Amino acid sequence: MSYSQRETPILAELCTFLVEHVYGELAARVFSVLARFGRQRLGDLSRASYLNGRQLKYGLVILIQQHLVFHSPADAKYMFYEIDWQHSYALVRCGKIAKLVEDRFGKKAANVVSNLLTLGHTRIADLKEAYFPSHTDSDDESDDGIVNGVGLRKGKANGTRLNGAVEKINGTANGKPTDDEDAKPATETLANGVNTSKATSNPVKVNGVSKETTDRDTTDGSEELDDGSIGSAEELHATIQLLMERGWVMKVEDAQYLSPGDLHDIARRQAADEIFGGIIPTGTKDKDKLAAGTQQHKRRIRDAWLEVPQACTRKRKAADTDYGASNKRVKVNGGYGVSGATSGNNEDDLVVRVNPEKIAVAMRTEQLVHLVEQRLGYTTARIYQIMLRMLESNLARCYEEYPDPPLADPEKAPDNGIDPRLLVTTRDVAKQTKDLDICEGLDPHAIAQITKRTHVEKRTNVLSQPIDPSTLSHDERVRIVHKHISLLSEDPFHFVTWHTRAGYSQWRIEFDEIMKGLIQHEIENTIASRKGALGVKLIRALRKKGKLDERQTCNTMMMSANDIRGIVNDLTVQGFVQTQEIPRVERREAKHSIHLIWYDRQRAREKLLHDTYKGMVRIMQRIAFEREKVQPLLAKAERSDVVGNEAKYLSKGELEALKKWKEVEEKLLLQLFREDDLVATLRDFIGPLVSV
Amino acid sequence: MASASVAAPSPAPKQEDGAPPEPPAVNRMDLLYEKCAEKPQGTVFFQRDLSNMQVAETMGELTTLLQELCDRHLMKLMTFDGEPCWKLRSKEEAQKLLRLTPDERLLYHHIDQVQSEGIWSKALRMRTNVTQQVLTKCLKSLESKDLVQSVMSVKFPNRKMYLLKHLRPSEDIAGGPWQSEGDFDTALIEAISGVVAQFIEQETCTKVPGNWNDYAPAHRIAAVAQKKAHVQRVRDIEDAPPVRPYRPPMHPHQTKVVHKNNPHYPTAASVAEWLNAKEVIKGKVVREADMDQLLEMMVLDGRLEKISGTNYRTVLSATDTKVFNGFVDAPCGNCPVFDLCGDEGDISARTCIYFGDWLATESEAV
Ligand code: SF4
Repeated sequence: MSYSQRETPILAELCTFLVEHVYGELAARVFSVLARFGRQRLGDLSRASYLNGRQLKYGLVILIQQHLVFHSPADAKYMFYEIDWQHSYALVRCGKIAKLVEDRFGKKAANVVSNLLTLGHTRIADLKEAYFPSHTDSDDESDDGIVNGVGLRKGKANGTRLNGAVEKINGTANGKPTDDEDAKPATETLANGVNTSKATSNPVKVNGVSKETTDRDTTDGSEELDDGSIGSAEELHATIQLLMERGWVMKVEDAQYLSPGDLHDIARRQAADEIFGGIIPTGTKDKDKLAAGTQQHKRRIRDAWLEVPQACTRKRKAADTDYGASNKRVKVNGGYGVSGATSGNNEDDLVVRVNPEKIAVAMRTEQLVHLVEQRLGYTTARIYQIMLRMLESNLARCYEEYPDPPLADPEKAPDNGIDPRLLVTTRDVAKQTKDLDICEGLDPHAIAQITKRTHVEKRTNVLSQPIDPSTLSHDERVRIVHKHISLLSEDPFHFVTWHTRAGYSQWRIEFDEIMKGLIQHEIENTIASRKGALGVKLIRALRKKGKLDERQTCNTMMMSANDIRGIVNDLTVQGFVQTQEIPRVERREAKHSIHLIWYDRQRAREKLLHDTYKGMVRIMQRIAFEREKVQPLLAKAERSDVVGNEAKYLSKGELEALKKWKEVEEKLLLQLFREDDLVATLRDFIGPLVSV
Repeated sequence: MASASVAAPSPAPKQEDGAPPEPPAVNRMDLLYEKCAEKPQGTVFFQRDLSNMQVAETMGELTTLLQELCDRHLMKLMTFDGEPCWKLRSKEEAQKLLRLTPDERLLYHHIDQVQSEGIWSKALRMRTNVTQQVLTKCLKSLESKDLVQSVMSVKFPNRKMYLLKHLRPSEDIAGGPWQSEGDFDTALIEAISGVVAQFIEQETCTKVPGNWNDYAPAHRIAAVAQKKAHVQRVRDIEDAPPVRPYRPPMHPHQTKVVHKNNPHYPTAASVAEWLNAKEVIKGKVVREADMDQLLEMMVLDGRLEKISGTNYRTVLSATDTKVFNGFVDAPCGNCPVFDLCGDEGDISARTCIYFGDWLATESEAV
């Protein structure tokens, strides 16, 4: 997390906009104070924010439930709050996440996940309650219908639980539940957030909780949402279990609230206890050992979050209950108010959330597939998609954030070989290609050679005897798929790497190298758009050759100095090209100096990331401005008497304006999500690069 | 001596039948010149070659004749391995040389000595000890008389190198076949990379018509319906609905270019060989290193890509629509005032004309 946790003013601004967009003004105000002042205690917060204690706590509850802030461990002397930048930024991804889940696990899972995103971390029991309200206290539902009732009750339930948590942490607050008036707008904003971000993805119907269904005034949203809705509590459990086993949903634990600094301290203390009996060593060698131990403990803490609890996997057999209960209580009993679990159902007490690291893995898959589609065509891209998705469940994250420190002598590193779970065989891929015309995208000669039932007409390149892919034998299929995979491996990006002959051929994917290439690709794309082919050529030349003086640059690009000076200047100004002057004479006259230019991929990456954040801020600002312009109209359109009767109450011009606003918002949001894709490429797929 | 190094072994002495008639002394000089001129241009004559021509009667006479020719600049005295030897000059050249001032002649002599390697003006001054003024003046005059040329060195880009007009500068100063006058010959590079790109595409790619595998005549409507039916994802194998395999819509007349099956990927050496065999560039031979330079440059240009250490192939792109990335496809990514743009003020997202154009909405007036 440390890499993405480094915040810049522009990221702070962006995140504040996102929080406001999704959770409303109160949460945004608390957030912006934390963003501006950094790590704070509650008292400092209230002094800096002009908010009263109750408002402040309510804001914090939202932020904590959504994992947007860290706080100190429960046993710390003072409770500090600090922003979790990675999660805060991730708000922009909500819509995308639902789509990613839907592509892999179908609509039901997407439904569950988008509810999890809306609610923040959630006790499974509460989730169940949201879907299948128990009608015990139905008095407050009589007016609004079931769905609305759920919304309210949800707010209450969450509020209580979280306040409980805050109480425990602070030791001050009084566990007072937020009243309905507070909770309602919050819930609506949540749902809104999801709805708007769905603009790009296939709309995932949110069953029972979102405003969408509320508006429709249905008593039971599930009727019209055929396969997207969850039919029973068992189904919900099964879906969650599947998502947990694949690593998309994980347990919520205390340590997730530790800021990187706190986590480091704790892991370090654990390592010191384990290795040196609690004494922090002083020798250099021992210090290295401690550093390695610290990283190891961080990994251990983190990996524990992904373990799927026993009770979940064993389908709650009665015999297991006791064991599971005690087991879990130890784990969860960290201070989130679950200790009061009296429901008797252990699984229900589990608090879960979406695992952001897995989202990054899935986003990486999508982007790679997209790139392959551009380079090698549709069919090869689909085959790559199959390979990547097969690996996904075995990939917890894109890159190790807490690697062991590099060994002084790399020769001595134990050669562990490659984890067999990261390998894919052609045969296994071929099995999944039944709904794909795998002959497409290859040289017809390859098909002729493999099937032997046809030949290629010399002049036209047409098969004499067409080959229907559904008639291919298994063996032919494997060999054709192998041709596609070979294209992937030959490509300069080296999308796959040959490993062994097992399963016709067995492949691995060297993500780190590909990701470096992908970052470079995006930097080149940026330059291509701004400065055209010449700029890209210069950057590639520098990337290949390192530091160059003018003559060397000319020679590499085979152009005259006059033709490249302009572009060198432009790219220097934009921060993509670095310059250096090495004096050759005592007096350091510029005339006699050697002027070098070079390109630093990491710097370019950071510059582009920063600029992209800024571009996103501008889009958010423009959305706000566009909305402001139609605000009176929006207010009118949202009036309860107008909703549903738009044609009657709104003039033609007003309807036009509303439509235009929708289009504008959609276009802007779409662009925002595309910028987020770029951010993911630049930031989330690989750690800092050491270049030059 | 550069020129001497190219000296061919002396031709076999020519034996003539009977004694030739005695030509008058003045004409003997012309005769010797003519005889030498019969040999291929640039031939170097040693004393025994000249005496074998049997123009002069005695060694002494030959020496006088040669002296005379040298004085008239029709011949040039050189040495090879310590042995004197001579080379012919054209009559026009000799005419021009006759009219030179002594300073000019001195400079000419030195420039002549270095042959195609050329000499840097500063080095020239050091060797001749003339003043800068004289040097500049004389070089100018020599250039105007079409006797010498100046070339910018490729190795030392700020050095002006002088060499005789009729010589082609060596690669050291003029660079490889891609350069002329010390600069890259853009037109030539453009033309040659065009042919090379075509050649490599032929070798590594193949054109496939839309109907190459016409197993089920594609109804456009059916294809569209199929696309809709096709779920673009891979579910667990069990619940994947195996309808007909999805195929992207075909356009029979639209050809696609795909990578060839088992191609022979060209290398710098093989491309150079092909190019030289076709004699595309007149009078120049492209060495492997030159071709390497060109191919690497084409990789930078994005026309070729490197497949392994030495093999190249054509870059293909399966989609023609050019989108860059989320950032630069939005107004801000290409905005000229990006760095000046703030949260509020005259340049901001509210007042932005670029957003206004892009969204077709009104921006706030400033
Ligand atoms: S908002 Fe407008 S002016 Fe500001 S950076 Fe973006 S495009 Fe440029």
